[in-house]
Amino acid sequence: MKILIADDSKVMRQIVLRTMRQAGFGHHDFVEAADGAEALDKVASDAPDLVLSDWNMPNKTGIELLRDLRSGGNEVPFGFVTSEGSEEMRETAKAAGAMFLIAKPFTSDHFSDALSGMLG
Amino acid sequence: MTNGTAPDNALVLAAIEQVWGSMLFASADPWPADRPAEFGSGVQAQIELRGDWNGRLVLTCDRDVAAQIAGAMLGCGPEEVLPDLDVHDAVGEVLNVVGGSVKGALDGVSALGLPGVAPCTAPPAQGECMVVSWRDAPVYVQVVPDAAA
Repeated sequence: MKILIADDSKVMRQIVLRTMRQAGFGHHDFVEAADGAEALDKVASDAPDLVLSDWNMPNKTGIELLRDLRSGGNEVPFGFVTSEGSEEMRETAKAAGAMFLIAKPFTSDHFSDALSGMLG
Repeated sequence: MTNGTAPDNALVLAAIEQVWGSMLFASADPWPADRPAEFGSGVQAQIELRGDWNGRLVLTCDRDVAAQIAGAMLGCGPEEVLPDLDVHDAVGEVLNVVGGSVKGALDGVSALGLPGVAPCTAPPAQGECMVVSWRDAPVYVQVVPDAAA
Protein backbone atom coordinates (compact mmCIF):
# COMPACT_ATOMS: atom_id res chain seq x y z
CA MET A 1 0.00 0.00 0.00
CA LYS A 2 1.05 3.59 -0.51
CA ILE A 3 0.86 5.98 2.46
CA LEU A 4 1.05 9.78 2.22
CA ILE A 5 2.50 11.62 5.24
CA ALA A 6 1.57 15.33 5.28
CA ASP A 7 3.28 17.59 7.84
CA ASP A 8 4.97 20.97 7.51
CA SER A 9 7.76 19.72 9.79
CA LYS A 10 10.29 17.58 7.94
CA VAL A 11 11.53 16.31 11.30
CA MET A 12 8.02 15.21 12.27
CA ARG A 13 7.51 13.48 8.90
CA GLN A 14 10.67 11.51 9.60
CA ILE A 15 9.48 10.66 13.12
CA VAL A 16 6.09 9.50 11.80
CA LEU A 17 7.87 7.35 9.23
CA ARG A 18 10.21 5.89 11.87
CA THR A 19 7.26 5.18 14.18
CA MET A 20 5.35 3.48 11.34
CA ARG A 21 8.36 1.21 10.85
CA GLN A 22 8.51 0.51 14.59
CA ALA A 23 4.82 -0.39 14.46
CA GLY A 24 5.55 -2.98 11.78
CA PHE A 25 4.31 -1.02 8.76
CA GLY A 26 7.72 -0.28 7.23
CA HIS A 27 7.15 -2.53 4.21
CA HIS A 28 4.62 -0.12 2.75
CA ASP A 29 5.54 2.67 0.32
CA PHE A 30 5.66 6.22 1.69
CA VAL A 31 5.36 9.61 0.02
CA GLU A 32 5.54 12.98 1.77
CA ALA A 33 3.93 16.41 1.49
CA ALA A 34 4.99 19.62 3.27
CA ASP A 35 1.52 21.17 3.58
CA GLY A 36 -2.13 20.57 2.82
CA ALA A 37 -2.00 22.01 -0.68
CA GLU A 38 0.91 19.76 -1.67
CA ALA A 39 -0.89 16.82 -0.08
CA LEU A 40 -4.00 17.50 -2.17
CA ASP A 41 -1.83 17.47 -5.31
CA LYS A 42 -0.11 14.24 -4.26
CA VAL A 43 -3.38 12.49 -3.55
CA ALA A 44 -4.30 13.26 -7.16
CA SER A 45 -0.92 12.33 -8.66
CA ASP A 46 0.13 9.39 -6.44
CA ALA A 47 -3.25 7.91 -5.46
CA PRO A 48 -2.22 6.85 -1.92
CA ASP A 49 -4.20 4.18 -0.06
CA LEU A 50 -3.96 6.11 3.21
CA VAL A 51 -3.28 9.71 4.25
CA LEU A 52 -1.67 10.56 7.61
CA SER A 53 -1.94 14.31 8.07
CA ASP A 54 -1.00 17.01 10.54
CA TRP A 55 -3.84 19.42 11.39
CA ASN A 56 -2.05 22.79 11.64
CA MET A 57 -0.20 23.44 8.38
CA PRO A 58 0.39 26.50 6.18
CA ASN A 59 -1.34 26.95 2.80
CA LYS A 60 -4.04 24.38 3.59
CA THR A 61 -4.76 22.89 6.99
CA GLY A 62 -5.34 19.19 7.50
CA ILE A 63 -9.07 19.60 8.06
CA GLU A 64 -9.35 21.75 4.91
CA LEU A 65 -7.47 19.04 3.02
CA LEU A 66 -9.85 16.36 4.25
CA ARG A 67 -12.93 18.44 3.42
CA ASP A 68 -11.57 19.21 -0.06
CA LEU A 69 -10.96 15.51 -0.67
CA ARG A 70 -14.42 14.47 0.46
CA SER A 71 -16.19 17.28 -1.38
CA GLY A 72 -14.34 16.19 -4.51
CA GLY A 73 -15.58 12.64 -4.09
CA ASN A 74 -12.26 11.19 -2.88
CA GLU A 75 -12.80 8.69 -0.06
CA VAL A 76 -9.16 7.80 0.64
CA PRO A 77 -8.78 6.58 4.25
CA PHE A 78 -7.55 9.55 6.29
CA GLY A 79 -6.12 9.92 9.79
CA PHE A 80 -4.77 12.90 11.70
CA VAL A 81 -1.42 12.92 13.50
CA THR A 82 -1.46 16.22 15.33
CA SER A 83 -0.29 18.06 18.43
CA GLU A 84 -3.85 18.72 19.56
CA GLY A 85 -6.19 15.95 20.65
CA SER A 86 -9.20 17.62 22.28
CA GLU A 87 -12.62 15.98 22.14
CA GLU A 88 -13.85 18.88 20.01
CA MET A 89 -11.14 18.26 17.42
CA ARG A 90 -11.74 14.52 17.45
CA GLU A 91 -15.45 15.13 16.80
CA THR A 92 -14.66 17.63 14.04
CA ALA A 93 -12.26 15.14 12.45
CA LYS A 94 -14.76 12.30 12.62
CA ALA A 95 -17.57 14.44 11.23
CA ALA A 96 -15.37 15.37 8.26
CA GLY A 97 -14.63 11.72 7.55
CA ALA A 98 -11.37 10.96 9.37
CA MET A 99 -10.83 7.40 10.63
CA PHE A 100 -8.81 8.42 13.69
CA LEU A 101 -6.79 11.15 15.37
CA ILE A 102 -3.41 10.34 16.94
CA ALA A 103 -2.18 13.11 19.26
CA LYS A 104 1.51 13.95 19.54
CA PRO A 105 3.51 12.90 21.42
CA PHE A 106 2.75 9.34 20.27
CA THR A 107 4.24 5.87 20.41
CA SER A 108 4.24 3.01 17.91
CA ASP A 109 1.38 1.46 19.92
CA HIS A 110 -0.87 4.36 18.90
CA PHE A 111 -0.20 3.59 15.23
CA SER A 112 -0.62 -0.15 15.75
CA ASP A 113 -3.96 0.37 17.47
CA ALA A 114 -5.23 2.74 14.77
CA LEU A 115 -3.93 0.91 11.71
CA SER A 116 -3.46 -2.80 12.36
CA GLY A 117 -6.94 -3.63 11.13
CA MET A 118 -6.39 -1.77 7.88
CA LEU A 119 -2.70 -2.36 7.11
CA GLY A 120 -2.21 -5.79 8.68
CA MET B 1 -7.05 41.48 24.48
CA THR B 2 -6.46 38.83 27.13
CA ASN B 3 -9.29 38.05 29.56
CA GLY B 4 -8.84 34.34 30.18
CA THR B 5 -6.56 32.56 32.57
CA ALA B 6 -2.95 32.22 31.49
CA PRO B 7 -1.45 28.72 31.41
CA ASP B 8 0.15 28.25 34.81
CA ASN B 9 3.68 26.99 35.26
CA ALA B 10 2.59 23.56 36.53
CA LEU B 11 0.55 22.96 33.38
CA VAL B 12 3.37 24.00 31.08
CA LEU B 13 5.92 21.95 33.02
CA ALA B 14 3.68 18.88 32.86
CA ALA B 15 3.49 19.27 29.07
CA ILE B 16 7.26 19.68 28.87
CA GLU B 17 7.83 16.57 31.00
CA GLN B 18 5.54 14.57 28.73
CA VAL B 19 7.33 15.74 25.59
CA TRP B 20 10.81 15.26 27.06
CA GLY B 21 9.93 11.71 28.08
CA SER B 22 8.16 10.56 24.93
CA MET B 23 9.95 12.48 22.16
CA LEU B 24 13.39 13.17 23.61
CA PHE B 25 13.76 10.14 25.87
CA ALA B 26 15.00 12.26 28.78
CA SER B 27 13.66 13.63 32.05
CA ALA B 28 12.88 17.34 32.45
CA ASP B 29 14.23 18.08 35.90
CA PRO B 30 14.25 21.66 37.21
CA TRP B 31 17.49 23.51 36.51
CA PRO B 32 19.02 24.76 39.83
CA ALA B 33 18.73 28.55 39.96
CA ASP B 34 22.29 28.97 41.24
CA ARG B 35 23.88 26.70 38.66
CA PRO B 36 25.81 28.61 35.98
CA ALA B 37 25.25 27.74 32.33
CA GLU B 38 27.10 28.53 29.12
CA PHE B 39 25.11 30.23 26.37
CA GLY B 40 26.81 30.91 23.07
CA SER B 41 24.63 31.48 20.04
CA GLY B 42 21.08 30.49 20.85
CA VAL B 43 17.82 29.35 19.28
CA GLN B 44 14.39 30.70 20.24
CA ALA B 45 11.05 29.13 19.29
CA GLN B 46 7.67 30.84 19.75
CA ILE B 47 4.08 29.71 19.27
CA GLU B 48 0.89 31.74 19.74
CA LEU B 49 -2.22 30.73 21.66
CA ARG B 50 -5.44 32.54 20.72
CA GLY B 51 -8.81 32.65 22.46
CA ASP B 52 -9.98 33.88 25.87
CA TRP B 53 -6.27 34.10 26.74
CA ASN B 54 -3.90 35.48 24.13
CA GLY B 55 -0.17 35.18 24.24
CA ARG B 56 2.66 32.88 23.34
CA LEU B 57 4.94 30.21 24.63
CA VAL B 58 8.65 30.84 24.11
CA LEU B 59 11.41 28.23 24.33
CA THR B 60 15.06 29.31 24.31
CA CYS B 61 18.22 27.23 24.44
CA ASP B 62 21.83 27.21 23.36
CA ARG B 63 22.33 26.24 19.70
CA ASP B 64 24.36 23.15 20.67
CA VAL B 65 21.57 22.08 23.02
CA ALA B 66 19.05 22.60 20.22
CA ALA B 67 21.18 20.39 17.96
CA GLN B 68 21.26 17.68 20.64
CA ILE B 69 17.47 17.87 20.99
CA ALA B 70 17.07 17.53 17.21
CA GLY B 71 19.48 14.60 17.19
CA ALA B 72 17.55 12.87 19.97
CA MET B 73 14.25 13.34 18.12
CA LEU B 74 15.68 11.90 14.93
CA GLY B 75 17.71 9.13 16.57
CA CYS B 76 20.99 10.49 15.19
CA GLY B 77 24.41 9.28 16.29
CA PRO B 78 26.56 11.59 18.45
CA GLU B 79 28.83 12.55 15.53
CA GLU B 80 26.03 13.38 13.10
CA VAL B 81 25.77 17.10 12.30
CA LEU B 82 22.32 18.42 11.40
CA PRO B 83 21.76 21.54 9.31
CA ASP B 84 20.29 24.61 11.04
CA LEU B 85 17.05 24.11 9.10
CA ASP B 86 16.49 20.71 10.72
CA VAL B 87 17.58 21.96 14.16
CA HIS B 88 15.10 24.85 13.99
CA ASP B 89 12.40 22.53 12.66
CA ALA B 90 12.92 20.12 15.56
CA VAL B 91 12.88 22.78 18.27
CA GLY B 92 9.78 24.35 16.74
CA GLU B 93 8.05 20.97 16.70
CA VAL B 94 8.93 20.37 20.37
CA LEU B 95 7.24 23.65 21.25
CA ASN B 96 4.32 22.85 18.92
CA VAL B 97 3.61 19.63 20.84
CA VAL B 98 3.99 21.40 24.19
CA GLY B 99 1.60 24.09 22.91
CA GLY B 100 -0.90 21.47 21.78
CA SER B 101 -0.94 19.89 25.23
CA VAL B 102 -1.31 23.28 26.92
CA LYS B 103 -4.12 24.33 24.58
CA GLY B 104 -5.96 21.07 25.23
CA ALA B 105 -5.81 21.59 28.99
CA LEU B 106 -6.81 25.27 28.94
CA ASP B 107 -10.46 26.27 28.74
CA GLY B 108 -11.28 28.91 26.17
CA VAL B 109 -8.12 28.74 24.05
CA SER B 110 -9.40 28.14 20.55
CA ALA B 111 -6.37 28.31 18.29
CA LEU B 112 -2.73 27.35 18.24
CA GLY B 113 -0.45 29.09 15.77
CA LEU B 114 2.42 27.69 13.78
CA PRO B 115 5.80 27.66 15.52
CA GLY B 116 8.41 30.23 14.51
CA VAL B 117 12.11 29.74 15.23
CA ALA B 118 14.97 32.23 15.02
CA PRO B 119 18.53 32.62 16.31
CA CYS B 120 19.02 34.64 19.49
CA THR B 121 22.01 35.91 21.44
CA ALA B 122 21.01 35.62 25.11
CA PRO B 123 18.65 33.62 27.32
CA PRO B 124 15.80 35.32 29.20
CA ALA B 125 16.49 36.39 32.77
CA GLN B 126 15.91 33.45 35.11
CA GLY B 127 13.27 35.35 37.08
CA GLU B 128 11.16 35.70 33.91
CA CYS B 129 11.00 32.04 32.93
CA MET B 130 10.94 28.39 33.93
CA VAL B 131 14.23 26.60 33.45
CA VAL B 132 14.30 22.85 32.89
CA SER B 133 17.21 20.55 32.23
CA TRP B 134 17.98 18.90 28.95
CA ARG B 135 20.67 16.37 29.81
CA ASP B 136 23.31 18.68 31.38
CA ALA B 137 22.11 22.03 30.05
CA PRO B 138 19.27 24.49 30.69
CA VAL B 139 16.23 25.12 28.49
CA TYR B 140 14.28 28.33 29.17
CA VAL B 141 10.48 28.41 28.79
CA GLN B 142 8.32 31.52 29.08
CA VAL B 143 4.57 32.17 29.07
CA VAL B 144 4.17 35.66 27.60
CA PRO B 145 0.73 37.33 27.52
CA ASP B 146 0.09 39.79 24.67
CA ALA B 147 -0.13 42.69 27.08
CA ALA B 148 3.48 42.10 28.10
CA ALA B 149 4.77 41.78 24.55
